Amino acid sequence: MNPVRLDLAPLRALLGDDGVLDSRAARFTYEADALVIEKHPPDAIVLPRSSDEVAAIVRWARAHGVPITARGAGTGLAGGATPEHGGLVLSLNRMDRVLRVDSERMFAWVQPGVVNLDLSRQLAEHDLYYAPDPASQQVSTVGGNVATNAGGPHCLKYGVTFNHVLGVVAVLENGDVVLLGGEAPDSPHFDLASALIGSEGTLAIVTEICVRLLPKPQAVKTMLFDFETIEQSCRAVSAAIAAGIVPAAMEIMDRHTVGLVEAWLGIGLPLDAGAVLLIEVDGPAVSLEAQVERITRLAENEGARSVRVARDEAERAAIWKGRKSAFGAYGRAASGFYIMDGVVPRTRLAEALAGVGRLCAERGLESGNVFHAGDGNLHPHVLFDADDPTQQAAALEASHEILRMCIRMGGSISGEHGVGIEKRPMMRELFAPEDLAVMERLRAAFDPERRLNPGKILPGDGDGGGAPAQLGGMHPGAEGEGAWI
Amino acid sequence: MSLALGLGRERAVTVAGYAIGLQVPRVALRPATPEEAAEALRAAAADRLAVVLWGGGTRLRRASPARGYDVALDLGALDRVLEYEPEDLTVTAQCGVTLATLAATLGARGQELPLESPRANDATLGGTLAWNGSGPRRRRFGAPVDRILGARFALSDGTLARAGGKVVKNVAGHPVHRLLCGSRGGLAAIVEASLKLLPAPETRVALVYGLKDWEVADAARWKPLPRLEPSFVTVLGATAARALPAAARVEAPFVAAIGIEEERRWGAEQERAIVAVLGAPTARVEGDAVVALAQALADAEDQDGARLTLTSAHLTPAALAPFVERADAARLVLHAPAGRLHWFPADENATTLALDLHQAGFRVIDTRGPLTFQAPIPPEVAITPLRARIKDGMDPAGILSGAR
Repeated sequence: MNPVRLDLAPLRALLGDDGVLDSRAARFTYEADALVIEKHPPDAIVLPRSSDEVAAIVRWARAHGVPITARGAGTGLAGGATPEHGGLVLSLNRMDRVLRVDSERMFAWVQPGVVNLDLSRQLAEHDLYYAPDPASQQVSTVGGNVATNAGGPHCLKYGVTFNHVLGVVAVLENGDVVLLGGEAPDSPHFDLASALIGSEGTLAIVTEICVRLLPKPQAVKTMLFDFETIEQSCRAVSAAIAAGIVPAAMEIMDRHTVGLVEAWLGIGLPLDAGAVLLIEVDGPAVSLEAQVERITRLAENEGARSVRVARDEAERAAIWKGRKSAFGAYGRAASGFYIMDGVVPRTRLAEALAGVGRLCAERGLESGNVFHAGDGNLHPHVLFDADDPTQQAAALEASHEILRMCIRMGGSISGEHGVGIEKRPMMRELFAPEDLAVMERLRAAFDPERRLNPGKILPGDGDGGGAPAQLGGMHPGAEGEGAWI
Repeated sequence: MSLALGLGRERAVTVAGYAIGLQVPRVALRPATPEEAAEALRAAAADRLAVVLWGGGTRLRRASPARGYDVALDLGALDRVLEYEPEDLTVTAQCGVTLATLAATLGARGQELPLESPRANDATLGGTLAWNGSGPRRRRFGAPVDRILGARFALSDGTLARAGGKVVKNVAGHPVHRLLCGSRGGLAAIVEASLKLLPAPETRVALVYGLKDWEVADAARWKPLPRLEPSFVTVLGATAARALPAAARVEAPFVAAIGIEEERRWGAEQERAIVAVLGAPTARVEGDAVVALAQALADAEDQDGARLTLTSAHLTPAALAPFVERADAARLVLHAPAGRLHWFPADENATTLALDLHQAGFRVIDTRGPLTFQAPIPPEVAITPLRARIKDGMDPAGILSGAR
């Protein structure tokens, strides 16, 4: 689409000059989310402040046959917010207010541009919090979390975004503003909000969200175990679950990752460990000591060599910093790496990790693993030299094979990052044609002309015919905690 | 039409057991496999026959089909637990397995699937999912739509399809399986589902209180309760409470049953905190008796006669304040933390009642029986066409008679 042919004046009249951006610089700023390998500049960026403005934009776009890609903070790793077919990027960042907190009935209405962590900060005075905590929570928005049905380290115990959204106000493709669900937990008929959550902006544009709030846990205990082998650490995870304990979080880093993180941060991680296992339990203070004792006993039975229990918030933060810095540590170690988001049944974790190692080693590549062990959600990182096309191709191939392995094990190609552009070709391997056809029908019911984030999730036009060329997020040179897994 | 709709005649069963009110289908079929179920739907679609999907009949026997009723498709023979791996905390089962069977299978390994339905011995997994049914533990443990990980389902064009998966975390593809929860058999027939489990709690205790009407209505009394997160707080009118198990039976205008299902030490602390707020209970039950009590509380919605079911954002019994003096409050059931109210009006003309309930924040989500009332809530005009398009997309022949 050629921006010259679009008359943006009506949008400027609606949103003000600062609400419509179409400079070259702006268009390049919004050309991709964190999947930087795929870049498609939009024709213009619009920044509405209300549901009514979103509705007016949608109606304008409909009249002009212009596609719309809604965008939160752009932290997505799958290309979900990349305007693959040009048109408008509708940024929800100016809709960033917490509209209402009902502390007695424990819900809040928020606009989609509210940053996840800001919401919980604003709720602190009520002794409440919003449970979904994607690792990107300091930057990512609640609206973006809704679009991807985001998880996070603590979703093992508390569930994903879907479980914490009571209702949404959404703008449909025809510009109607509708309420789906609401403050009450149930709806008559089937729940349309349930279809929207995780739909990556392809069904409607969510403009207000009613989130369920929880009382803040009384206390938290964070433990760090080290094991000689990664298999032992995986067995300890299974043993805890089998014993009826559901910790708030269970995260594993393998030897490779521990080495890189320790070399960078020097926080005292054991360099000779095959894996370290972070377990966090939260809840009533009276319960936690017993849980820590039980988990420690189970972990020792599986071969844990040592346990470190955070004595205070500072030590807890240090343990989590190690976990959350893995991504940055990879970025320091290699000029390029691919990160995946596969899922396997928890009981097959050790087998899957061995598979990751083998598939990479066969191609002469290094790999690291840091993952949500309690959920079976793997984030293998395949490291490569970004200047070496042969290595890059080999890394792509390994990434593809790793996700295939997840499918064969009864798992999935995405646990929390979404399908977007990146994993679209693999949808044909995960699902049968008839499964995808039903999803197409659902999509068509919401957006018959495919104007809302066209081309995402479902394979079809422009998916590269299933070639693996779009697989794997490439994040050369990522530093610090700048991207999240 | 062929009586067996593409299946062998041995799949035809007597229609007498499938009456809904006074309506009896022309044919009743009990397929033995998902493929047979899909084939029966395809054949029914070819003949434009209205199909009602049957599980255990726990809800349908008191419901009325929305559009016609030619075929009862009984999915009860699809009753196998397909995969159960306790260390994954997941189960995959066919739709016809009963909640009681699932509870026994999972309970043997110290786990549970917190789905709730009246008459759990008959209620099937598929039926509970299709109605997104819930009970007293709704807020704490979620509704079926919160627990479903994926499903296999038969469409009326004879296709068997899947959405979601079997792992606890999965965002690949559109969640059609979640949309089927609450669709009441109007979009597709769920033939198999994967669900997320929980470990059984270490301790179960229930505190039962006999209450006067002003005690139910006293907002200050209940205010601290939601943050203690009891697993249930159900209020019943005196008549409804008479059906509770003997150990929990209390004679009073209202009865509140409060569940504590926790780790042992926290359970004890929680009990102390609740007693500090509400005083000593009239009765106290523990262990398996709490499971039986929770089932009785779920059963309480299954009383005879007309019923309004309402949802609200309320979390405490004080939401009943405007209604406690009504004579027909004696049969009410309120699962307080879930805001779910079942009301059995004495008067079949329930317009005034429904309006009053609406004023008090309750929204009608279901009606049953010979009720006549003007819905106090405007129909969802803006999304009616969207719902119709989804229905057309999933069931283009329009034969799935989503029962109401």
